Amino acid sequence: MITCPSCTRAQAPALACAGCGAPLGANLDLFAALNLPRRLAIDAAAMERAYHDLSRRIHPDRFAAAPAAARDASMRATALLTRAYRTLRDPISRGRYWLELHGRKLGENNQRVPAELAAMVFETQEQLEELRESRTPENLAAARARRGEVAGALEAAAVALARNFAAWDADGEEADERRREALFTELKATLSKIAYLTTLARDIGRELETARAA
Amino acid sequence: MARIFGIDLGTTNSLIAVIENGAPRVIADPETGRTLLPSVVAITPGGGVAVGDAAIALEANPKRASVVIRSVKRYMGLGGGELGPEERRRYEFADLSGPVVRFKVGARTYAPPQISAEILRELKRRAEAALGGELVERVVVTVPAYFNDAQRQATKDAGRLAGLEVVRLVNEPTAASLAYGLEQLNDGYVAVYDFGGGTFDISILNIKGGVFEVIATNGDTHLGGDDLDQAIVAELLAGLPEAARADRELWNRARAAAEAAKHRLSTAESAQIRLETGAGALERTLRRADFERLAEPIVERSIECCRRALADAKLAPAAIDAVVLVGGSTRSPIVRRRVAEVFGRDPFCTIDPDQVVALGAAVQAGVLMGARNDLLLLDVAPLSLGIETMGGLMERLIHRNSTIPTSVTENFTTAVDNQTHVDVHVLQGERELARDCRSLARFKLGPIEPAPAGLPRIEVTFLIDANGILNVTARDQRTGREHSVDVKPSYGLTDEEIERMLEESIDLGDQDLEERLLIAARNDADQILAALAKQLGEYGNLAGAEERRRMAEAAKRLAAARSGTDRELISRLVEELNEASTPFAHRIMDEAIGAALKRKSVDEIS
Repeated sequence: MITCPSCTRAQAPALACAGCGAPLGANLDLFAALNLPRRLAIDAAAMERAYHDLSRRIHPDRFAAAPAAARDASMRATALLTRAYRTLRDPISRGRYWLELHGRKLGENNQRVPAELAAMVFETQEQLEELRESRTPENLAAARARRGEVAGALEAAAVALARNFAAWDADGEEADERRREALFTELKATLSKIAYLTTLARDIGRELETARAA
Repeated sequence: MARIFGIDLGTTNSLIAVIENGAPRVIADPETGRTLLPSVVAITPGGGVAVGDAAIALEANPKRASVVIRSVKRYMGLGGGELGPEERRRYEFADLSGPVVRFKVGARTYAPPQISAEILRELKRRAEAALGGELVERVVVTVPAYFNDAQRQATKDAGRLAGLEVVRLVNEPTAASLAYGLEQLNDGYVAVYDFGGGTFDISILNIKGGVFEVIATNGDTHLGGDDLDQAIVAELLAGLPEAARADRELWNRARAAAEAAKHRLSTAESAQIRLETGAGALERTLRRADFERLAEPIVERSIECCRRALADAKLAPAAIDAVVLVGGSTRSPIVRRRVAEVFGRDPFCTIDPDQVVALGAAVQAGVLMGARNDLLLLDVAPLSLGIETMGGLMERLIHRNSTIPTSVTENFTTAVDNQTHVDVHVLQGERELARDCRSLARFKLGPIEPAPAGLPRIEVTFLIDANGILNVTARDQRTGREHSVDVKPSYGLTDEEIERMLEESIDLGDQDLEERLLIAARNDADQILAALAKQLGEYGNLAGAEERRRMAEAAKRLAAARSGTDRELISRLVEELNEASTPFAHRIMDEAIGAALKRKSVDEIS
């Protein structure tokens, strides 16, 4: 429980006081900042409503004439709210944040190209090299086909991510250690795969754009 | 509290506006009836100042000794080394090696914020005269969305030098969307295309339930109508010898002739230009097609920015529900045509593009005064912010198009045993290498207690406030002690310099100043007393008995002090009453939010 400095109401930690609406400097996790349950499946429209509703109440524009301490609290609370919305809105950054929230990092044991992607990564790089050297219709067509393949793989990875999220929401938080570890490993692998595929898609897109412009 | 005014501090023209009964209006000069103040400042060799038409009149005299400065906005926040050849050619500068460019006028020098302050002071004077003595002290000032930290800071400095409290900097395109009353769109995407005198901005917003959320912004702070003029001048003077082209006097006259021709070509098919040179008159007919050939590459640069903004917003042009035009340069048919082509729809241009930004600034001032609680702006930082890391790389901490205010916390440690300081270099920009980004500031963390390398943990919070300006705080994680962070901006004036400029400008006016401050304090007192009386009348049921007693106590004390002359006492009691009534005010606000959401206030401003 914390106490609101403006109206002294005791309450659970929140961004805005439940009594007087003053911004509170509470140190919250990003789910709590948006008043959301700690679940990975999020209704985007509901989250946006919560974000707008809280913004209306705690944004610095509402405290332009308030004492300095309230202005400062408003700015800090709004910065946290904004970060929460930006992070949780996108499933990929939401997944990364889930790891962070549980004291894990994507980067730690994940520097190498995921094994099942290695072949695709190297083939694509070769293809793009050939395309740079000569922009023949065959090379262009191959790059376009590759772009489609990568897009398909990204879609599949997004589905896998949603499946992992659903598993966490079903029983992940209460599951035994082994099950949790398996879910973490799967989450890391999926996020890492998405990161590589996104880079590939970007590189192919750029190369095709350059070819089109030339 | 005194009213808050909205100011568009433009490259070519500046305006001041205020919200009255929920609707914004531009305040005209009571003497001339004009609403636009040309952003032109003349400084005489003796240090006298003329602004607007008076400065233009001085400019017309070829024998004048004064220096006449136009487009000072182009110089805001720039270091001496950052001037382009065109900007360097137009005026004389002192000391181009420093962190601030300085115009040279005889033996004196002036930093750009000092020149801008003269424009602000003139707007303040006009508005006070027009409003019968009401003081103008708190303002919202608009800046191009793409202004960097130094340019924003310079704008705030100008306000301070003019004796104004800049309550908020608002991005120009965002302000324009407020002026159009686009909240009636309810759940739509809007593109604001703002082609001004010296800067270009494109912003893409999502508007939903009165919340204006900027999702992407792009632009070029050195792209504007000035460039169109210069393209015409270059064409006009192309046949002349180098010496003639370098003549500042001739160049200025050519620019004025080019600008006039450009304006005529917005409606006419051709324009005559006549320019007196040392070797006789230069006559030329400029057809619209000629002008459009010159303008095309410049307009295309703006279109490129639009494409980048759409890509950042992850939207196709067809997803945009409305396009708004802002800035005098959007009067050119070629600009309207290209914008319509890119977005596949005809743009809105029903509000005078010269006034729309100031009107929007007044609406935002209304929001800040609590007069428009139905609206809320969520703006973004236009540029990424990061720090220089080992090997001269830029590590991005806050990405461009992040909603502001926003903050990020980063841990720093030492690299060698017993290191006492850590140096941090803050950068702004999108490039990978630190040297390709713009240096924003440097600071030193410490003193750090002696410890083995890697052990100290200093947590640094980088916060971009609602004005888009960086604030840094640091805390030692082991001791929990706050570190003071002495941030040295890479560009711009230091606090000491601004203090000195302020002292110099006040000189004889001390008595006068005391009096103004007293009037201001009394105004504050009247305002808060009136507001409280009204609130207690309407929402008295929301205050507890004890709370009501405390507020009445504080109000009584303030009312007594208000008739005296101790302004510090008045200010302190205003603050006390403010504190005592804040929880009450919040409750009223909550109560009112639901109602405000439903209120149709769209019609009031469109």
